[in-house]
Amino acid sequence: MKTAAYRSNVKKLTVMAVLVLAAAAAYMLVEINFSNSRLLKYALSLRAPKLIVMLITAFSIGGASIVFQSVINNTIVTPCLLGMNSLYTLIHTAVVFVAGSGSIIAVNANLSFAVDVVIMGVVATVIYSYLFKKTNHNVLYVLLIGTVLTSFFSSIQTTLTRVMDPNEYDTLLTSLVASFSNINSEIIVFSLVLLAAIIFALRRELALLDVLTLGKEQAINLGVNYDKCIRKLLLGVTLCIAVATAMVGPISFLGLIIANLSRQLLKTYRHSLLILGSAFFGMIVLVGGQLIVEHVYSYAVPVSVFITVGGGVYFLYLLMTEKKV
Amino acid sequence: MNVKELTKVYDGKTVVDQVSFQIPKGKVISLIGPNGAGKSTVMGIISRLVARDGGDVEFEGKDITKWKSRELSKRLAILTQTNNIQMKLTVRELVTFGRFPYSGGRNTPEDEAVISKAIEYMELQEFEEQFIDELSGGQRQRAMIAMVIAQDTEYVLLDEPTNNLDIYHATNMMKIVRRLCDELGKTVILVLHEINYAAFYSDYICAFVDGKIAHFGTVKEVMTKEVLSEIYKVDFQIMNINGRPLSIYY
Repeated sequence: MKTAAYRSNVKKLTVMAVLVLAAAAAYMLVEINFSNSRLLKYALSLRAPKLIVMLITAFSIGGASIVFQSVINNTIVTPCLLGMNSLYTLIHTAVVFVAGSGSIIAVNANLSFAVDVVIMGVVATVIYSYLFKKTNHNVLYVLLIGTVLTSFFSSIQTTLTRVMDPNEYDTLLTSLVASFSNINSEIIVFSLVLLAAIIFALRRELALLDVLTLGKEQAINLGVNYDKCIRKLLLGVTLCIAVATAMVGPISFLGLIIANLSRQLLKTYRHSLLILGSAFFGMIVLVGGQLIVEHVYSYAVPVSVFITVGGGVYFLYLLMTEKKV
Repeated sequence: MNVKELTKVYDGKTVVDQVSFQIPKGKVISLIGPNGAGKSTVMGIISRLVARDGGDVEFEGKDITKWKSRELSKRLAILTQTNNIQMKLTVRELVTFGRFPYSGGRNTPEDEAVISKAIEYMELQEFEEQFIDELSGGQRQRAMIAMVIAQDTEYVLLDEPTNNLDIYHATNMMKIVRRLCDELGKTVILVLHEINYAAFYSDYICAFVDGKIAHFGTVKEVMTKEVLSEIYKVDFQIMNINGRPLSIYY
C-alpha cells in the first residue's frame, strides 16, 4: 500500500539522489580548465575512476551495513565488527614484512587486490558460514568471534610492525589508509562483477529482510527459513565489505554512520528504501568529503580521518540517545 | 494434530518426556502447569520454533518438519510473548505482514481486504496509522492478534497471551480467544498461567507436570479438587459459577 509515509520517503530519496548527482558533478568539474581540451580530458580521466570507486564503495558499504544491522537486530552495530578492516591491515603488513615493500605483491595493484579478495573471501566463508552453522546460528557468537578476531589480527599486525624496518613501515602506512586514488579500471570492473554476483545470489534473501526484522520467531511463523536465510545474508554482507575494503582500504566504519542516518531520516522498515538511503548518504559523504580533501586541504588530510572523527562523535551521540541498547 | 512421544532434552535434563496427545479441531485447548513443566517447550515444538529430540508431531497427515515452511505458515500461526519489534512499524504495516505467506510481500487487493477486515475485527481502525511502539500493551497485543487473523490459519497457537496484561486487558484477550474459535472456527492452543481463565474460556485443558502430561480432558474433568491439588501441590476449592468450574487456591 502506498501510504503517505511511503510517498514522503520517496520524495526524500529523490532529493538525496539529486544531491548525489550535484556532488558528483561538483567533484568532476570544480577548478577544471575548460579552455584547454587536452587538460580537460586529462583531469576528467583522473577524476572519473575515483568518482566511480567512491560510488561503488558507498553503495556496498551502505547496503551491507543496513543488512548487517537488520540481521543482528541491533542498529548500533558496525560492520567493523566483522574484522575485515583489521584483516586487510594484517594482510598488507604481512606482505611488506615478508616480501618487502618493493615486492610484486605490494607494488602490483591488481595482484594486491586479488590477494586481499581471496584471503578475505576464504576467511569470511569459513567464519561466517561454517562457524555460524557450528554455533547453532547464534548471531551473538558471530559478533564475539568478530571482535576476538579483530584483536587477534591487530595484535599480530602490531607485532610485525614493531620488528619491521622503519623505512618499510613508512611505505606501508600509506597503504593502510583508505584511499580512492590509483585504482585501475580492471579492479573497478572486477569489484562490480563480484558485487553484482553477490546481490544476484542473495536476491531471494534480500526480499525477506523486512520480515526478518520482526524477530526470529515471527519470521519463522511467517514461513521464513530463518537460520539458512541469516547465514546467507551474513556471508553476503561480509563479502561485500571485503570487496569494498580490498578496493579502497579500511573504511567499513563509514557504514555505521550512513546506515543510521538513513534509518533516522526515513523511519521505515522497508529495506529497499533504507538501503538506497544508506547508499546515497555514503555517496554524499564520500564524494563531498573527497572534494573538501582535494580542494580545501589539498590532500593533507585523508577523507577517512574525517569519517573516523565524525563517525566517532556520531556513534557516541547514538549511544547516548538510544533508549534501550 | 497428533503429538506422539515428544521428547526434549536441555543440557541432559529432560524437560519434555514422552508427551503424546491429540488436539481436537475447532476447540480452545489450554496448556497449564507449574513453571518449568514443559508446556511452553511443547508449544514451541508443535509450532516448529523449537527443535525436538524425539517423537513425532503429525499435522494434517504429515510430520511438521516435512512441511514446507511457507505452506505451514498458511495453516498454523504462533504468537509468542517476545515481541520486541525494533522497527518503526504502523499497526496496518504489522498486520500486513500476516499476509506474507500468501503474497511474499506483494499484496493483491484481496490481501488488502483481508488486512482491513482483520483490523476491523480487532477494532483497531483508529490506531491503523499509529506506530506500534506508541501503543499500550493491550493495544499492541490486539495488533499482534490482528496479524494472526490476517494470516488466516486454521490453527492459532498463543504462548501466554495474558502475560503482562492487567485484568481488563487479560479478560478481553480471553474473550478474543473465544471469538477466534466460535466465530472464525479456529483451533486455538494456548499456554496459560491463570487456571481460572483456562477453566472459563477453554474447552479442553492439558495439564503438565515435570515434562509429562498429568491430565488431559474437558474442563470439567480436569478442574477437580483432586487433580489440581496433585498438579500444583497446593489446596484447591472448586466453585461453580455460571455452570463453569472456578478454582480458589490458597
